[in-house]
Amino acid sequence: MKIFAAYDWSLIWDYRSQLLDGLWVAIKVSIVALVLSVVVGLLLALMRMGKAPLTWIAAGYVNIFRGVPALVSVIWVYFGLSMLLGIQFSTFQAGVIALTLLYSAFIAEIYRAALTAIPKGQREAGLALGMNPVRVFLSVTLPQATKIAIPNIGSMFIGMVKDTSTFTVIGLTEVVRVTQNINSTYFQPFVLYTAAAALYVIVAFLIDFLFRGVEKVMESPPRGRIAQAITGRKRRRILALIERHQASPSA
Amino acid sequence: MADDLTRIPGLDAAAPQPGTGAVVEMRGIRKSFGQNEVLRGVDLTIEAGQHVVIFGPSGSGKSTLLRTINLLEVPTAGSLKVLGREYAHGNEPGVPRGKPVELRRDVGMVFQQFNLFPHLTALENITMPLKRVAKVKGSEAEERAAHALRSVGLLRHAAHYPREMSGGQQQRVAIARALSMDPKVMLFDEPTSALDPELVGEVLSVMRKVAESGMTMVVVTHELGFAREVGDLSVFMEDGQIVESGPRGFFDNCQNPRTQKFISAVL
Repeated sequence: MKIFAAYDWSLIWDYRSQLLDGLWVAIKVSIVALVLSVVVGLLLALMRMGKAPLTWIAAGYVNIFRGVPALVSVIWVYFGLSMLLGIQFSTFQAGVIALTLLYSAFIAEIYRAALTAIPKGQREAGLALGMNPVRVFLSVTLPQATKIAIPNIGSMFIGMVKDTSTFTVIGLTEVVRVTQNINSTYFQPFVLYTAAAALYVIVAFLIDFLFRGVEKVMESPPRGRIAQAITGRKRRRILALIERHQASPSA
Repeated sequence: MADDLTRIPGLDAAAPQPGTGAVVEMRGIRKSFGQNEVLRGVDLTIEAGQHVVIFGPSGSGKSTLLRTINLLEVPTAGSLKVLGREYAHGNEPGVPRGKPVELRRDVGMVFQQFNLFPHLTALENITMPLKRVAKVKGSEAEERAAHALRSVGLLRHAAHYPREMSGGQQQRVAIARALSMDPKVMLFDEPTSALDPELVGEVLSVMRKVAESGMTMVVVTHELGFAREVGDLSVFMEDGQIVESGPRGFFDNCQNPRTQKFISAVL
């Protein structure tokens, strides 16, 4: 009697291109959803901090969509919302919309916290210099809020990639779907799902690394060799300016 | 080569003289925050080139009064005329009110908490408003900013971020930033109150330089020594009203017992 089934690890190598394609689909869906979620989330945060009816609409949206699981969301969008609107979404589009509905709610809260963390004096200084409120927002408030929000947005991004795993249910050819397909032929769940898990872990690690890099570039002054290399040109220009002014005789 | 274009009025060139007549005229200014009436009918006229010092106990409304001049606080009632234009409710109905954005082009402000933009270098703190508000071209903005920093003795720190500078240095950059926008009036809201004592002197030096250039200044301060030295008009406030005011020599000649009590407690 066999105690262990034989583990066929070579399957991972043989099917590496399908697995990586699936991973790439998951990442693409997540990137598009991230960009949209940040835009919508920021808008919601501003609405929430604004005036009467807008603030309740935004609060309602956030409280509802924070509680919906990704699986439910994607089925609802792909089968339900498409019937309601009369548009047939592709699995890719449905995935993006489902993720955006959920994560814009989380990111709205992240931005709201970030925006309220900025001292009132910053806005006052901008206004005192003659800036209109939009300019104050774009040049003073938003850059500082984004810097505060970035680490949490990075965590959200990792969550999005993981949530794409539930999109197998609408037939999107992401990691889990590819894994299921291979498994239905060879029945090696341990090997195949270990590979799937490993792919997600590697991506999470890479995203974490990327966002840490972004955080370092956004610091004042930028921290770390890579960050300093990226911002080096600006610094050198200012240093050259200093030299020129030190050289010229005082007025 | 020092180009006349880049000289900063208020630092290394004479301050703009906004013609004759009052630069700022406040009549019957009242301000309430909910039930709390902070300004209870204030009249104040500021002439061109005058250095006004406002002092008094905490809660007297002096900062609120100062912040009314650039409409960071909008008065509940009263008239605010700056350079001849009405910006508040006014006592003449039907007179069109100017917009705060226009007012703030002519009025600069320095805050107790400096309020430098932490995500920008010292240089960029000055070039950004020049580029975005005054629509100055990038290279000229940089020249003017470098010049301004040099005038406050901080050219070496142009590439530094606020976090890398001391409080006194940050405040000097803040003064340079406000002056670069070419204001006709400069407001200082307790500019040295948040500074360690040994850093107060360097900021007061810069303020003295601004005063000497002929800039119209309104300073809320606890530094009565500086006030006595620089002030052309000294104003003592308490409980939302001006108790007493007077020209040079006020500190030695004030009549009102409340004023005398406050000054003797401080000086």
